Amino acid sequence: MIWNQNKECMSRDEMSALQGKRLHKVVEYVYHNVPFYRKKLQERDLIPDDIQTIEDITKLPYTTKKDLRDNYPTGLQAAPMSQIIRVHASSGTTGNPTIVGYTRKDIAIWTECMSRSLTAFGIGRNDIMSVAYGYGLFTGGLGAHNGVENVGAAVVPASTGNTEKHAKLLRDLGITGIACTPSYALYLAETMEKMGITKDQIKLRVGAFGAEPWTENMRKEIQDRLGLKGYNIYGLSEVMGPSVSYECQCQNGSHICEDHFFPEIINPVTLEPLPRGQKGELVFTTLTKEGMPVLRYRTRDITSLMEGECNCGRTAVRMTAIEGRSDDMLIIRGINVFPSQVEAVVLAIPEIAPRYMLIIDRVNNLDTLTVQVEVRPDYFTSDFDTPGAVENLRKKVEFKLRSVLSIGAKVELKAPGSIERSQGKSVRVLDKRVLK
Amino acid sequence: MSYSPYFNPELETMPRKELEALQLERLKSTVKRCLNTKFYQDKFAELGITADDIQTLDDVKKLPFTTKDDLRANYPFGLSTVPMNECVRLHSSSGTTGNPTVVLHTQKDLDEWANAVARCLWMVGSRPEDVFQNSAGYGMFTAGLGFQYGAEKVGMLTVPAAAGNTKRQIKFIKDFGTTVVHAIPSYASRIYEVMKEEGVDPARDTKLRVLCIGAEPHSEEQRKRIEHDLHVKAYNSYGISEMMGPGVAFECQEQNGLHIWEDYFIVEIIDPQTLEPVPDGQIGELVLTTINREGMPLLRYRTRDLTAIMSGECACGRTHRRIQRLQGRSDDMIILKGVNIFPIQIEKILLKFKELSSDYLITLDTDNGGDFMTVDVEISQLFTDDYSRLTQLTKEITRQLKDEILVTPKVRLVPKGSLKASDEGKAVRVKDLRKKF
Repeated sequence: MIWNQNKECMSRDEMSALQGKRLHKVVEYVYHNVPFYRKKLQERDLIPDDIQTIEDITKLPYTTKKDLRDNYPTGLQAAPMSQIIRVHASSGTTGNPTIVGYTRKDIAIWTECMSRSLTAFGIGRNDIMSVAYGYGLFTGGLGAHNGVENVGAAVVPASTGNTEKHAKLLRDLGITGIACTPSYALYLAETMEKMGITKDQIKLRVGAFGAEPWTENMRKEIQDRLGLKGYNIYGLSEVMGPSVSYECQCQNGSHICEDHFFPEIINPVTLEPLPRGQKGELVFTTLTKEGMPVLRYRTRDITSLMEGECNCGRTAVRMTAIEGRSDDMLIIRGINVFPSQVEAVVLAIPEIAPRYMLIIDRVNNLDTLTVQVEVRPDYFTSDFDTPGAVENLRKKVEFKLRSVLSIGAKVELKAPGSIERSQGKSVRVLDKRVLK
Repeated sequence: MSYSPYFNPELETMPRKELEALQLERLKSTVKRCLNTKFYQDKFAELGITADDIQTLDDVKKLPFTTKDDLRANYPFGLSTVPMNECVRLHSSSGTTGNPTVVLHTQKDLDEWANAVARCLWMVGSRPEDVFQNSAGYGMFTAGLGFQYGAEKVGMLTVPAAAGNTKRQIKFIKDFGTTVVHAIPSYASRIYEVMKEEGVDPARDTKLRVLCIGAEPHSEEQRKRIEHDLHVKAYNSYGISEMMGPGVAFECQEQNGLHIWEDYFIVEIIDPQTLEPVPDGQIGELVLTTINREGMPLLRYRTRDLTAIMSGECACGRTHRRIQRLQGRSDDMIILKGVNIFPIQIEKILLKFKELSSDYLITLDTDNGGDFMTVDVEISQLFTDDYSRLTQLTKEITRQLKDEILVTPKVRLVPKGSLKASDEGKAVRVKDLRKKF
């Protein structure tokens, strides 16, 4: 089934024409409503009328996460506050989160895109789908939620946590679809096995998995243990949220909602656009957004755009699975974490030396984050005789990290000088997760 | 910009006579709809009544009561009156010993729910220019999504901050110019405490104007303190997930009782022992019949919440009657931080650990951070004196309790015999030392 035949199966010529028209409009819109873009365009001697076809996109400037941060909270917002009905936030590289405002139309388009994904996965009116992405400021929960309601399936807003109850509901309600991170799907499978719930007792048929990279092997394992078909869903809050792209029944690349988001692949070093099929950094321009449109936003995700047509009949271009990042962002339990956030916390605590190490691991299919920090020599000798002082300091660091990262980290206090120093640029991250 | 003081002017100020005619019409069709379920067919047969016996609003008294136990016994879909393909949402309570309760919504139910919440938010003065921050938990807990949809319907900028991370909540209040907040009362106090620590003066550094507080019984004194501390007007919100969630009843700007939307519900107050109606003004158990729901309509649902109907008209011009602030629960359920908890849920988890004896004590108390729960439990024997092992056990108990009851209790392992049963033989399981209103 195809949710929007007209858009998802548009001929290439028609699509390019539509994209060109929309690109002109969005450039005109940001030129008049976002001083940041007006300035950027003026610096390049561009006026909106210089942008007429989709090929003209290469004339436009890039936008980065740093631009969003420098313009915190709402400097890149194009619509007046009175028209914004929702904000979402994702982690910034340091203190400030990245804020994205949505108008009613933005939410409607997002819901439309989500409906396309869910229909491609085979979810319809007769399904019951649980959404186990976090609800709230994170786009995963509410984004998927709105889509499930829109296609007329019954949504179970399970959110994260309480996995045993979730497993019970899967069985008792005959839930047929689940939206969550792939690692949570494996954790759920394990919990069910411990509870003695077998694959035959549940009716799961479809999994919408995203928010973190995963592999074909993980797909096989999840499909096998939960007895469903697992589909990739991709998105990021700066562009919209889940369903910027989605897999179809062919499970071979994710179709991009091209009428709303124009994709490019660039060389992250030279910033030159790369030809189709080549691997590089994914860049998106939003073609219809009102709240916070972005021009050529550098996602930092490494992928490629696929050539050739898909057997499902959709003409929308496909991207391959994400293979990595062109920056140091980590995705831990579906949440974006930057080492620089940890650094900012560490530097603000006087008892701690400006040296740290992030160790990421996967235990029972759940990501764990351990942060090792060094106690400064002067603190180590004097105050540390007091009982409880060590534990208090450790808790203080954990608390501060939690409020900045939005996920819990285990803090280990190390003796002065004990965190390994490497030659030259120090290695601050040890990612022990093996995506098999 | 000038707005009507009402979100649905016609319905909110409908003359009583018309409102009652509307109620009767909706009651009749609800009764017919309920008879799609075997549960209500059997109940009607037991009482020897049919849909035709409902000819006046007063006839509601002929109808059978519905209880939370009925919901559990008919878990998961026994009380649903529509096929699953018409349901678009399911909420599930935290559950007790056995089955959780499940509430189903059609698209129309969600639209009506959003409309009811929008009425409430409008009633307390929220307008499309406002920035609304919702610090309730999202997901299965209805206050998250319930307020989200209502606030978006009003057209406010809505910040789904969800529960926790108080520093970030305060940052958003400042950075977005948040004017309206929804929070449970104990969390509102917590926000103020952290503001003080951070040197944030609500009057000087924020644009806060309105606070919606609900899901936890609270006193007039607590409201006054919150209003004073946060420099806002605070309004009492009431809702239960079986009826839909928030939006059932809400205070208007008179701050004198909660208007209950009578085009959605038929309101009765009964004596929980005799089940007979009590006169207006007298405290009893609130009983609600949904007359505007498709997915899972309920007849005479016993909310177990204690309140009274207030007589007389309200100066705000709304004709829907008011109930008093909630006075507590008519059964043994604990409400902590807005979450319903039965002692037996805790017992069930504790009994899973072979290291523990069956003696435990739940203590509810209040400190600067708000209400909290301590669970003292005896170790069956000195199975180990390894401190790290005991710490790990405590952690695991805490985690499992949190998964079951959705709030994090403080767990203390105590030596065998220290929680011995009282002389009468009946163990005291719950001590409520919380600040009373």
